[in-house]
Amino acid sequence: MKPFRRKGEEYVARLDPAEAGIVGLLLDQLELLLTDEDVEDDAVVARLLPEGHRGDPRLAAEYRDLTRASLVAGKADDLATVRATLPAEGGALRLDAEQAAAWLRTTNDLRLALGTRLDISADTEPPAELASEADQQLAVYYWLTAVQGSLVDSLAAGRAGRR
Amino acid sequence: MGGPLAPARSPGTVVEEESDLDRPWVTIVWDDPVNLMTYVTYVFQELFGYDEAKATELMLQVHHEGRAVVSSGPRERMEHDTSRLHAYGLWASYQKDT
Repeated sequence: MKPFRRKGEEYVARLDPAEAGIVGLLLDQLELLLTDEDVEDDAVVARLLPEGHRGDPRLAAEYRDLTRASLVAGKADDLATVRATLPAEGGALRLDAEQAAAWLRTTNDLRLALGTRLDISADTEPPAELASEADQQLAVYYWLTAVQGSLVDSLAAGRAGRR
Repeated sequence: MGGPLAPARSPGTVVEEESDLDRPWVTIVWDDPVNLMTYVTYVFQELFGYDEAKATELMLQVHHEGRAVVSSGPRERMEHDTSRLHAYGLWASYQKDT
C-alpha cells in the first residue's frame, strides 16, 4: 500500500492486489450488516447506527424513525462509491473530493465494525505475530487505520490549502 | 421557547420561573477507542465550521473527559446534528442541557 496523498485536486493511493481483495470482502460484509433487518441486536449495527437519545425510549424511537432510513441510505451510497472506485485487482486509486469523503466515512465504518468485533480498547496494540485469525483481523484493523489516517491527513491539508 | 437566536445562558445564570422548555438541548460526542483524533477534529470542522483550534479543543475534551458538548439549540436541530455525526461514525447523542 502507498498511503493517500493529495495531488492537485485529487487524492491518490495505491493498493496491493491482496489489500484490494480484503477491502472488497469487508465491503460485502458491511453491506450485509446494513441491509439485514434481522440483525437489530448486533453490536456492530448498534455502533454504526447508535441510539440518538439515551435514557428516553420515546425520544430514542422517534430519532430512529426520523433518521435511520437516511443514515442507512447514506452509508449505502458511500459504500457503492468505494466499490466503484476500488481497483479490484489492486493498483492506483484516484479520488475526487466527493469520492474521498465516501472513502473516509466507509473506512471509518469498517474500522468501527472490526473494532467492535475485536473489542478494541485504548490499550489494544498491533499484533506481534499473525498466529491466529484474531491476529490477522487485528492486522487488517491497523492497516485500515493507516489507510484512513493518511486520507484524513490529506483531506485536512487540502482544506488548509483552500484557506 | 429557545430558537436559533435565543440568547445563550451560562450555567451560572439564575433565571426566575425558568420552565423546562427554556433549557436548550445539546449534542454530545462521547469518547470511543476507535475514532482517530485527527478524524474527530476533521469532522468537527467539516460539520460545524469550527476552526482547527476550536475543533482540536473539543476533540481533546472528548478524549480526556469522555464527552463534550459540540452544539446547542432547539431539539430538532440537535437531532439533526446527532444524525450528521452518526453519518460520520462519531458516537453522539442529544439531550436537554443539564
